[in-house]
Amino acid sequence: MTENTNIDIKHVAKLARIKISDDELPKYSEEMNNIIRMVEAMPEIDDELLVDESGVMDLREDKLAETKLSRDEILKNAPKVVAGCVVVPKTVE
Amino acid sequence: MELYEYKASELSEMLSKGEISSVELTKSVFDRIEDTEPSVDAYLTLNRDSALLDAEKIDKRRASGEELSPLAGIPIGIKDNISTAGIRTTCASRMLENYTPVFDATVITKLKNAGAIITGKLNMDEFAMGSSTETSYFKPTRNPFDTSCVPGGSSGGSAAAVASMEAVMALGSDTGGSIRQPSSLCGVVGLKPTYGSVSRYGLVAFASSLDQIGPIARSVKDSAMLYDAICGHDPMDATSARRDYSPISGTLNGDVRGLKTGIPKEYFGEGIKPEVKESVMNSVKALESMGAVVKEVSLPSTEYALSAYYIIACAEASSNLARFDGVKYGYRCENPENLMDMYERTRSEGFGREVKRRIILGTFVLSSGYYDAYYKKAKLLQKRIRSEFDSAFNDVDVIITPTSPFEAFKFGDKMDDPLAMYSADICTVTVNIAGLPAVSVPCGYSDTGLPYGLQIIGRSFDERTILNTAYAHELSFGGFKAPAIAKGEVEL
Amino acid sequence: MIKGYEVVVGLEVHAELNTTTKIYCSCKNSFGLEVNTQVCPICLGMPGTLPTLNEKVVEYAIKMGHALNCGINRICKQDRKNYFYPDLPKSYQISQADIPLCHDGYLDVIVGNETKRIGIERIHIEEDAGKLLHSDKFDGSLVDFNRCGVPLIEIVSRPDMRSSDEAKAYLETIRSILRYIDISDCKMQEGSIRCDVNVSVHKPGEPLGTRCEMKNVNSFSAVVHGIDYEANRQIEVLEAGGTITQETRRWDDAKGESVSMRSKEDAQDYRYFPEPDLGTIVVSEEKVQYLKETLPELPNARIMRYMESCGLSYNDAAMIVDVPEKAELFDSTLEAGCKSGKLLSNWILGEISKLMNDGTDISDTNLTPEKLAKIVNYIDSGKISTAAGKKVFDAVMSDNADIDDFIEKNSLSQISDVSSLEKIAMEVVSQNEKSVSDYKNGKTNALGYLVGQCMKASKGKANPAVMKELVLKLLEE
Repeated sequence: MTENTNIDIKHVAKLARIKISDDELPKYSEEMNNIIRMVEAMPEIDDELLVDESGVMDLREDKLAETKLSRDEILKNAPKVVAGCVVVPKTVE
Repeated sequence: MELYEYKASELSEMLSKGEISSVELTKSVFDRIEDTEPSVDAYLTLNRDSALLDAEKIDKRRASGEELSPLAGIPIGIKDNISTAGIRTTCASRMLENYTPVFDATVITKLKNAGAIITGKLNMDEFAMGSSTETSYFKPTRNPFDTSCVPGGSSGGSAAAVASMEAVMALGSDTGGSIRQPSSLCGVVGLKPTYGSVSRYGLVAFASSLDQIGPIARSVKDSAMLYDAICGHDPMDATSARRDYSPISGTLNGDVRGLKTGIPKEYFGEGIKPEVKESVMNSVKALESMGAVVKEVSLPSTEYALSAYYIIACAEASSNLARFDGVKYGYRCENPENLMDMYERTRSEGFGREVKRRIILGTFVLSSGYYDAYYKKAKLLQKRIRSEFDSAFNDVDVIITPTSPFEAFKFGDKMDDPLAMYSADICTVTVNIAGLPAVSVPCGYSDTGLPYGLQIIGRSFDERTILNTAYAHELSFGGFKAPAIAKGEVEL
Repeated sequence: MIKGYEVVVGLEVHAELNTTTKIYCSCKNSFGLEVNTQVCPICLGMPGTLPTLNEKVVEYAIKMGHALNCGINRICKQDRKNYFYPDLPKSYQISQADIPLCHDGYLDVIVGNETKRIGIERIHIEEDAGKLLHSDKFDGSLVDFNRCGVPLIEIVSRPDMRSSDEAKAYLETIRSILRYIDISDCKMQEGSIRCDVNVSVHKPGEPLGTRCEMKNVNSFSAVVHGIDYEANRQIEVLEAGGTITQETRRWDDAKGESVSMRSKEDAQDYRYFPEPDLGTIVVSEEKVQYLKETLPELPNARIMRYMESCGLSYNDAAMIVDVPEKAELFDSTLEAGCKSGKLLSNWILGEISKLMNDGTDISDTNLTPEKLAKIVNYIDSGKISTAAGKKVFDAVMSDNADIDDFIEKNSLSQISDVSSLEKIAMEVVSQNEKSVSDYKNGKTNALGYLVGQCMKASKGKANPAVMKELVLKLLEE
């Protein structure tokens, strides 16, 4: 397992949409590798993960909510709103 | 004696007898806040005006002869990761600096229905990630016993506010020790309830499968009283347990005769300060003298619990905190060039270092090719830890350990070394991993007067037994010792 | 088969379920309402909110599982699929990864005159995302979250289809089943069924080719054109000596072409893990069984029944079955005593379809199965002509006329009595010697003229079929 300690922090950070500058990188790498080393001391366990039958949940009845928030209320924390919509930089498919 | 100094159980009686009014009590607490807050910095947002209005309403209802709940009129502080409609809820993050929720957490609805008065929102480690409240974006909170020391974390604001008597009680949240560890460092009582016994609806998630809201108070009875008010099944939380939650606070008698008390040797090894061990063992002896039966138990996988904890907690956090993307609420970076730029800058600027570190770790352990080696293995370890607790609880009724391996430490002492900081949680994380209830109570003081705490762990949904054990301990050890905190003393 | 290549197609169909509320919150599940008016803190992913699973979503998915002959995982869970996009408020979609609610089924579809069995890999439940709105006039995109949390089932087929026609037939059958078991509105133009297509090509006998996934294939014609386009593109690449790279492509229906979205290398890493905010789904054995037993007759079975017991052609049967209301009317009219399924199908696919296409809900009209049965039976027995039948039908629709009274008052009943018709025929034949000799000289259209004269003489009441036979008989004498 120890060969994995060189994780590609930049790639992982990109997946998480976090920008790491080049001068922050060594510090992040070191910390991350220390944590990973600790984590890799975990023993191998010969067992399977099964669906947790003890954690059965109640399902919700298909019934409309009685109260409803207005659009203004629900969008009041949005950074930018135009015509009742949240605005984001143009998305290109 | 000032009103703010009383315990909730005493105040509840004084209020119901009409000896004091809630307005007087609330004013007293806010006066105390004015005096000591400059030295403690426990609050992020104060709710003074609404609190006084609410207190007035409660007084009127009481005057009209209405039967009120025991919490009616009692000022309670709320950790700032619990959603409060109309009151800013920041999670101590720049990301939510200006976020005002449009809905109440279920626990807040319950407190409001019980007539409790909300004093304000309490400081914490950013998104509850930390053990010292130093990762708060806004300010550090100071330990009322020594303002050059941290109050612990992540519910450091809650514990410090209760210890400095800036709130009669407070709500905190506990993912890996975040109620118990600061309670221990601030000399107060903190209960982490069984997973599923208190609704998480409205608690800003850090690690969904480990998070629980719980009470922090200055006595065991107060903790039980607040726990009674917030526990119960909630249809809004699919992980909430449907069962009978009968009130505990009236049933505590401190009778521990025949109580089988387990001492796991794994929690008394290296890394735990000798003085801490000693004060815990002294308390165990005291319980033994009151009739408890003490025996050794073994929890062999404890040494891996911290690793399993960090993998599970960070994995869930990486997903839970992905919603903070600058789109719907919260911080958005200035003038984003495009969508990717908005995401990356918003999240890099909006989150602090510790949060980013954990998001990256969590993203890594879930990423393609690593899931089995990390996340799956951690979940298997969780399963093993649970079964070890199960078999231990075949032999004993409660398990006693230290809460924190050391007393409150100085600011900056562990901030540069994540692993050293993580070790503060070494005694507490297993409890979250196993989903069990545990309470931390003060059990001694260092030469410099800093509190030590012991942790009592119980079977699932057996809050009553651990609280009753804690109550027995409190009877023999003595109750809350107020810190000698001077007015406006700032030395940071 | 194109240029010796076999096309291999698999489909992933997303269908929005027509529950009252969304999958994880109690917001209204409906289409086309004003932007951001059907949202709550939960479907907007506000900090601290938690999902709760709608029980109907589980039931509907199991129904579809039964309809597609699937095994049901009575005990299963949900997982998070993590990716960032502005229409996904939590930045993860709650879906199902390794344990879908339904698994390993099949669907028999009729292509041409043959039945083809298509394997079903899985059906799982998940939540829909919101919508992004774009405008050239506006420098940015707008997000409407109304659709967030609308329940979806994803039906994943095995790569068992070998042509775009088979894919189309599969999709049509899926749509028809969804309507029949009434779990989806199936409006493709509203996006309530959406489709991703996996296409590969290979020479028979050789291993399967590398597949490309094509997204945004959202109409029946797009399925056909998209698959044909993609198969041809791949064949051209191979014929030119190239290789196919695994990638995700996007179908542009307006341009009629697919364009590359991303290659396998930059495939998204969704970091699936079990949804910790939800517990385990456990459906009782009894419930699974109940949902199976209460499943209505499925469209293919109904088509076969109409063909076998009513003598309908495949096309007519399929057209009736395609619209549940038509099939309901067909069955209830037969039950009300209608004797000719064939004639009834003409009426349902003719007059009645016309009304339904104009938006009429037949159950809101005066037409009952009993009345329709009576009209069809009168036509069938020759009591009234088809033209008279239409008059009766109109009168029923507009005035709720009593059928027998109306026929009586308007003298619509035909004379089918042979002796009285014979009299007319003999008269007409004797009065039209020229036409008779024309006919005998091979001018067969003289027969039509003579029958027409007979009809005229009967004031239109003669049964034309009987009349024609009688005239013919006289001419042949």
